[in-house]
Amino acid sequence: MNEKRQILSESVPEWQLELDKVGFFRRLLLARKWYHGDWWFVLISAIMLIFIIIVGVFPQWFAPFDPREEVGPSLLGPGDVTPGFLLLVDKNSTAESFVDIAQKTNRIGYIMGSPATQVLRETLKRLNTHSEAKGLGIVYQPRGDRFESIDEGLEALSAGNLDGFITSADELGNNLTKYGNISILEEMRSGKSDSFVMGTNQIGQDIFSRIIWGTRIALIVGLSSALISFLIGVPLGLISGFIGGPIDRILTLFMDSLYTFPGLILAIAIAAVLGPGIGNIIVAIAVLYIPTYFRIVRGQTLCVKNELYIEAAKSLGTKPLIILAKYIFPNVLPSVVIIFSVNVADAILTEAGLSFIGLGLPPDTPDWGIDLARGQDYLRRAWWLITFPGVMVSLVTLSFSMLGESLSEILNPRLSDL
Amino acid sequence: MTKEILVEIKDLSVTYQTRIGPVSAVDHISFNIYKGEILGLVGESGCGKSTLGKALLRMIDPPGEISSGQIIFSNENIMNYNDEQMRDFRGRRISMIFQDPMTSLNPVQRIDEHLIEAIQVHEKNTKRKEALSRTETLMERLGIGSDRLISYPHQLSGGMRQRVMTGIGLVLNAELIVADEATTSLDVIVEAKLVDQLREIRDEMGITLLMITHNIALVAEMADRIAVMYAGHIIEIGDIEAVFEKPMHPYTQGLLASVPNIHFDTTEQLYKMPGEPPNLTHPPSGCRFHPRCLKAMPVCSKYEPSLAKSDDSRFIKCWLYQTQPVRG
Amino acid sequence: MKLGANQSSGQEYLIRLENIKKYFPVQKSIIDQVFAGKINYVKAVDNVSINIKHGEAFGLAGESGSGKTTIGRLAIGLEKLTSGKAIFDNIDLQDLSPEELRKMRRRMQVIFQDPMASLNPRMTLGQAVQQGLIIHYPEKADQHRDMVLSMFEKVGLTPPNFFYNKFPHQISGGQRQRIVIARALITKPDLILADEPVSMADVSLRSLLLDLMMQLKKEFDLTYLFITHDLATAKYICDRIGILYLGKLMEVSTLKAVYETPLHPYTKALLAAVPVPDPKKRRTEPMPEGEIPNPIDPPSGCRFHPRCPITQPDCSHIEPELRELIPGHFVACRYTKTPSQPV
Repeated sequence: MNEKRQILSESVPEWQLELDKVGFFRRLLLARKWYHGDWWFVLISAIMLIFIIIVGVFPQWFAPFDPREEVGPSLLGPGDVTPGFLLLVDKNSTAESFVDIAQKTNRIGYIMGSPATQVLRETLKRLNTHSEAKGLGIVYQPRGDRFESIDEGLEALSAGNLDGFITSADELGNNLTKYGNISILEEMRSGKSDSFVMGTNQIGQDIFSRIIWGTRIALIVGLSSALISFLIGVPLGLISGFIGGPIDRILTLFMDSLYTFPGLILAIAIAAVLGPGIGNIIVAIAVLYIPTYFRIVRGQTLCVKNELYIEAAKSLGTKPLIILAKYIFPNVLPSVVIIFSVNVADAILTEAGLSFIGLGLPPDTPDWGIDLARGQDYLRRAWWLITFPGVMVSLVTLSFSMLGESLSEILNPRLSDL
Repeated sequence: MTKEILVEIKDLSVTYQTRIGPVSAVDHISFNIYKGEILGLVGESGCGKSTLGKALLRMIDPPGEISSGQIIFSNENIMNYNDEQMRDFRGRRISMIFQDPMTSLNPVQRIDEHLIEAIQVHEKNTKRKEALSRTETLMERLGIGSDRLISYPHQLSGGMRQRVMTGIGLVLNAELIVADEATTSLDVIVEAKLVDQLREIRDEMGITLLMITHNIALVAEMADRIAVMYAGHIIEIGDIEAVFEKPMHPYTQGLLASVPNIHFDTTEQLYKMPGEPPNLTHPPSGCRFHPRCLKAMPVCSKYEPSLAKSDDSRFIKCWLYQTQPVRG
Repeated sequence: MKLGANQSSGQEYLIRLENIKKYFPVQKSIIDQVFAGKINYVKAVDNVSINIKHGEAFGLAGESGSGKTTIGRLAIGLEKLTSGKAIFDNIDLQDLSPEELRKMRRRMQVIFQDPMASLNPRMTLGQAVQQGLIIHYPEKADQHRDMVLSMFEKVGLTPPNFFYNKFPHQISGGQRQRIVIARALITKPDLILADEPVSMADVSLRSLLLDLMMQLKKEFDLTYLFITHDLATAKYICDRIGILYLGKLMEVSTLKAVYETPLHPYTKALLAAVPVPDPKKRRTEPMPEGEIPNPIDPPSGCRFHPRCPITQPDCSHIEPELRELIPGHFVACRYTKTPSQPV
């Protein structure tokens, strides 16, 4: 019964060897069990960010219109349909709809340069295509008469020189009351449904498209400035913390004084000095964040420097630069990643703030800050002008922040794993 | 010597909810602590001995909890105590000395204040003067003169701080003192003196002492009985001389044979126990020691033995000494 | 004495510490500095001389404040001497430039007390052990991985491939200590400074680790400088042992001599204080009075005199020298009696 068994001195248990063979995706799913809420946060914010980045890189896939083009009437509400164009006729006219007036022999008037012409053309085209298809043989081709102002046009109609007059509600204004013998026959619309998901701004640009294109600017500025801050602040922090001495004191002094400036004010100052342009904006915002990276990295370096494994590395004969790169930096990195995330979020906000004030970007750039600036006076009349850009800024900022925060939990080494 | 039971622990389990799953750090343990004895609880890291000590004071915090069992202290089940009763219980009837004296004492409070506060919290109507005089008498007994009592913790050495911790336990005439690795951070001479002192106090005042430690030689120096823990179970418990002379459980045998003895000849080899204590998230089936046991039998991997009485004062948890379950 | 095969200079002694001192200045508050004037020093190591032979396992034992860890670090140049000489294989470490000292490290490696803290949490175990090879044997880069794996096997970590990509927190304490041993040995050093190498390991593991260290010592022909506070463990590894108290050597001799016929009162107290795992042999001797004094302000004369059971009036004025009372047995006490002398 007392068989002596051969026991290996450090044999690894079966289940541990098995676990080792588990692939990446299995481990990802296992992580869900381990990290609970954080795992979901990372997942959600990661998906949101991937989506945002795709939008930023390929805005043309998502934006229905050119953001700088006037594609609709000004201040059209979200989802509202563009008001159509009014067809005015003499009260005595026997016409019942546009078709009746659109004969070859008739004359239709409009204001010079009015978008009504486009509707006219499109409607005629429709009718002609329909007529041809049905083989009706009728050609709709009324003569178009241009007028300089609404008054001239209405005079002509009233005088009987025109069979019909097309104009928009804006152009018409109150002038109809002056002419008792003119009435509105019907409303004409263009083929496509002119309604804009997020409405239009005062120039008539589609807000939705502007937001999409604005993502690109925001991401470019946010990521670039964060990257520059990172590339300057982290090495300086590492060196300062590692070497110590007078270099450290000077750098710390300098960085601390930079740090005490209220962020936006400093950015404004730098941007004002450097002048307009997207590059200068990026630089201005980057400078803002260098002290943060510097401080955190330096603090962590000082901590890590005193750890036993650094001493162990020294006793191995490791060169100081290698200690910095292989031992200190990897252990300092997790805290920096979180800052990077939050940095991008804040940079986007700062960029919006700067362009809100009017610094940096050319005035018509599709940029959230610019949109916010333009829309601020219209809060009551046209709330959609600032709401959508505002929500977008918040959403993107939130996504980056969420990612950073939830990663911080996961990136720290689990000392009591398995 | 009639042995009166001070604490009866029945089927006690402490479970921690970890990321991997539930871990039972203490698994259905039952044993008694007798009045006036020094019981040494030994085991390696991860065996659950510190958890057991904390459980006696019901100081298990989430994600851990006492998942089963009763702790009957002087015929009262403290598992039924509410918060207020527990607060009274802790300190006045049971006291704990921790491993690190630096962090267990309040750094901004003088030593005498520590003790006076302890007295006044538990015995509310005591006047300060009386509390102070009790403190002085006791600390004098423990070797800290009244001139040192006005010091702050950082001004004292490690050994003195541990004596202060002991004093806090004793000043309220606690019945049981749980010392969790109390001497591990101390130098060997200081440790020896503290051990002497604790033994004297037990002889004089009749308090009971539970010494939780991984230092087996220390337990041999001072305990009356020894309980050996492995992977959350008590696998052997008995009188100290009997256990050391004839350890019964294979783990105890291996453990005792691997402890360096300063009197041994240098040529004598220490026993090298193979393997390592198990990871409690995946404990071995049956007897938890069986993967490392040189005397393991087929039944050991299937069924867990109970802690059964082997002779008058010895309990042992091993199939070598019990009738094995019949297959079927 | 047997000379190691590593003797590159033909010298008998691998390490010679001559009258080494290390004083740490104490940071005091502004007020103390301005008003009190003098700077206080912690005299961590105060005039210690030790010679360690090739192939020897030399133990430095003492309680806290004895200076044992500091001496170890001074011996391999991890700490700068306040005065005295630290000579390694006939080379004065202070003569070396930082670059030369760095290269010298290949020959003197350290096993630290806390395996978890001495491993970079962000480096795999394979990488961690390989660093030594990358630094000191860069020309053998293609063999590095195999050398690491074979070292893993030597220290008992099987299967070695399993451990190569693991991180320190994924393995057990005993396994971590083996990794630390592997890391120390991979550069084929002459000397291993072992700073309390088993004090954080479980009891049942200690004997395994000690056994491993002895095996490796024989196999690699190493010299050990073994620092410990645990006299019971030291007995299983050391050939000679030195007892330190408050930065000074009290007694140095072979293991047998120190343990069986200790001559210094402090050594006797220390040995008596060590608990014995046998309930029938409980200690009956009384312990010295008092506690270890503050190293900033050590007692005058013999440092142990306030607590010494055989102290004499002039022990507080005259500092005893380390004298060879018996051949090979050195004691720093003027009143102790050797076994042959009448008490």
